[in-house]
Amino acid sequence: MTAIANSRRRQILRLIWDAEHSAGEIASTVDDVSWPAVSQNLRLLKNAGLITERRQGTHRYYRADRRALGPLEAVLRQMWTRDLGRLRDLAEAEARFRRRRRD
Amino acid sequence: MIEDLTGAIEITQRIEAPPEIVFAYLTDSQRFVRWMGVGAELDARPGGRYRIDVDRVHVASGEYQVVDPPRRLVMTWGWEGHPTVPPGSTTVEITLTPEQDATVLRLRHLGLPDEGERRQHTAGWELYGGQLAQLVAARPPD
Repeated sequence: MTAIANSRRRQILRLIWDAEHSAGEIASTVDDVSWPAVSQNLRLLKNAGLITERRQGTHRYYRADRRALGPLEAVLRQMWTRDLGRLRDLAEAEARFRRRRRD
Repeated sequence: MIEDLTGAIEITQRIEAPPEIVFAYLTDSQRFVRWMGVGAELDARPGGRYRIDVDRVHVASGEYQVVDPPRRLVMTWGWEGHPTVPPGSTTVEITLTPEQDATVLRLRHLGLPDEGERRQHTAGWELYGGQLAQLVAARPPD
């Protein structure tokens, strides 16, 4: 479920990476199930500071804030730190399991 | 534990497990995919290749240069289709040092392009991780 939601947000980000698009345009392009889901994804992205919103009349326009995605080093460091943390947990669990079996 | 190097990152992680187990998580496809990506095909021997489906959008791939169990692993690293970090363009070096019953893992990711070069070429290609990862860790909206 998380991965699906994640890929939809990615899809939105890709669409508005280089050009501003209206909420309607985004909703018609992203293969999301419903407008509320698209709207909620846009709100999440906005709250996270990843996209900017501009209102004009009754329309809302969105664009990715590429600076917010951070430099490559930061992204990579975060990726490796998170993933190596998982590796540590798995390896430690396996080591404990083997020790118990030996005892 | 984390220090900045020029064009490189270094991360050190202490793991309460022997190097043999840690090395297996780095080189065995089934164990690997439990901590990174959603799919992985690893041929961990010198000259062998790997391909990691990170999130069904981004694919990382490269070639093993050094496979020295259970101490050292060096491989090229890049994302397929990435304008400045394509496969073969950067290097990941992992060393495992035993310390009593534990292992100190040191990962260095070397040869990263400088920020100017990246800004020039990376339009339209967004990276995973960073704030996006935190966002995804939050409750999914649907």
